[in-house]
Amino acid sequence: MLSKKQARMLFIVSTGLFAIVFLALTYDSMQQIPARTNAHNLSASAIRGHEIWNDNNCMGCHTVLGEGAYYAPELTRVYERRGEKWMKMFLKNPEAMYPGQRKMVQYNFTDGQIDDLISFFKWIGEMDLNGFPAKPTIKMSSAQNNGAVSANSPQVFKDVCVACHSVNGSGGNVGPALDHVGSKFDAAYLNKWISDPQAVKPGTAMPQLNVSDADRALVVEFLSGLK
Amino acid sequence: MKYKSQIVAYWFFATCMLLLSLQVIYGFIMGFAHMGFDNLHSIIPFNAARATHTNLLVVWLLTGFMGAAYYIIPEESDRELYDVRLAYIQLISLIVVGVTAIIGFHLNWWEGRKFLEIPRPLDYLVVVNVLVFIYNIGMTIWKGNKFSTTQLVLYVGLLSAALLYLPGMISFENQTLDSYYRWWVVHLWVEGVWELIMGSILAFLLIKLTGVDREVIEKWLYIIVGITFLSGILGTGHHYYYIGTPKYWLAVGGFFSALEPIAFLGMALYAITMYRRSGRNHPNKVALYWTMGCAVMSFVGAGFLGFAHTLPQVNMYTHGTLITAMHGHMAFWGAYAMLVLAIISYATPIMTGRKLWNNMASMLAFWLSNIGMVGMTGAFAVAGITQVYLERKMGMDFLTVQKEIEVHFFGLILAGCLFTTGIVLYIYNFIKHGVPAPGNSLTEADEVESVPSLI
Repeated sequence: MLSKKQARMLFIVSTGLFAIVFLALTYDSMQQIPARTNAHNLSASAIRGHEIWNDNNCMGCHTVLGEGAYYAPELTRVYERRGEKWMKMFLKNPEAMYPGQRKMVQYNFTDGQIDDLISFFKWIGEMDLNGFPAKPTIKMSSAQNNGAVSANSPQVFKDVCVACHSVNGSGGNVGPALDHVGSKFDAAYLNKWISDPQAVKPGTAMPQLNVSDADRALVVEFLSGLK
Repeated sequence: MKYKSQIVAYWFFATCMLLLSLQVIYGFIMGFAHMGFDNLHSIIPFNAARATHTNLLVVWLLTGFMGAAYYIIPEESDRELYDVRLAYIQLISLIVVGVTAIIGFHLNWWEGRKFLEIPRPLDYLVVVNVLVFIYNIGMTIWKGNKFSTTQLVLYVGLLSAALLYLPGMISFENQTLDSYYRWWVVHLWVEGVWELIMGSILAFLLIKLTGVDREVIEKWLYIIVGITFLSGILGTGHHYYYIGTPKYWLAVGGFFSALEPIAFLGMALYAITMYRRSGRNHPNKVALYWTMGCAVMSFVGAGFLGFAHTLPQVNMYTHGTLITAMHGHMAFWGAYAMLVLAIISYATPIMTGRKLWNNMASMLAFWLSNIGMVGMTGAFAVAGITQVYLERKMGMDFLTVQKEIEVHFFGLILAGCLFTTGIVLYIYNFIKHGVPAPGNSLTEADEVESVPSLI
């Protein structure tokens, strides 16, 4: 068995040796990280977004690159998943988008700050992360298949509405399913409902989304067709 | 107790008790929020509760390590502490910085960097504070009349912990680099130099409690910390799988972090072997419980549960889920919380001269807190595994999954109540010891009193 002196040598040699290997690998990583993270795309806006992310301790609820807390969604691929339009609406008033659900602090971000955060997430989303986050491996038969909404719906419907509503079984389940909504309400009612939900039904959880007139018209036309 | 300056440790331990109780309260706030009872959201949003919970943990463990050092180093150096007044100043300033940081968290003043949320200006104060501590301890050793391996390893551990705090203070615009060096602090602390502190405090306790020959214990101490660094340094790679770092970290991190449990297994076997060779019947059985418990639970929490999600193929799905919370809770509890509670259980009766060891309260404190923590870990495990399958494997929406697993947080809170009962009893017993008064402390002779074994 080892003597105390040999044991001390084991400690010193293994520590020294592996510390050197670690520093060498760190040096090599520093050479590779700029390319793998597209550091050249790190715009001034994205850097400001990173600062907003840090200053408000967003990691205290969310994860990004899988690091942070587990109270709120993983945001590494949020730009790809939700798109700019949805993110803008959400960051304006987070609780409006998820009425009665888990709350996010209302930070009252300015439009500029929201753009910065979106640039930050766009940059994060384009990194080479060795395959993380993995694509789901278990196929579901019919239920809960986010994103794959019927092809003829307008883009704004896919970007925004499906976060809470479903059509043909795909979409969110915060608000009611919208199958057959066209046979229940006419176009004028739907138009009024989307432009100001509170005026139609005070106290409703449906948020006022401030979509453009053109987008609203497209959504109303699409919904009216769901008979 | 050999030297009256060792009493400084008592006040560090008392601070530990205070911070630990606050940490538990914030844990409940988060548990309830996960169940949907987020009534405190407007005053204490989740990110504030979380930063407070984890930072209190780090601060009370560090305070405990400092207290342990102030107790152990004079005894091992065979002289009074170099500067007692400086030690008190250091404790008070540490509390001031800590309280300021925690208030700051509630006012949105922090850095959004997991575990290192303390705002930058306060970081500098922490550095000064720790330097004062290192100086005080270092001078005691330097001017000491005796030199021991235990004190050397403890000192090297504390000094390296202080030095490794520095990489966490560099700012980067690139999130990947920010994370890369943040792990130098967090990982190399808990799976590196803190294990030196753990190993040496365990060695001290084992020497005192079992009476096994110092040479034997210290030889094993070297072997174990050797294995720790052999696996732990490159084991940092398990944080570099998926954050924008090169692919070879999957192999390097996977291989070396798979070796990390060996260090913890070594620690457990070492404590058990020394106990079995025990040539001494130390009357403070509860301190022995915490010491052996620490060695065993650190293997289960840090070693075994760490290994459960450390391989890259597994971590691909568990990275960033409640599985991490499962591992984190038992790892910190087993390796470091139980260690600090062990040294407190050992030293408090000696400092205060009241033999409140082995009473019902102290024994229940040990069992209830441990059973509670096992239950909490189980609740996190079930919630985490469900999250991994529903969200990561099947692609269900985050919030939908969170609704499904709310019930497991009810289980978490039930187990947490058991845990808290244990902690309350521990603190009650600590308070009952009273404050140390000069001349009251136990002597060496009190430590060999023979009582029937309770184990």
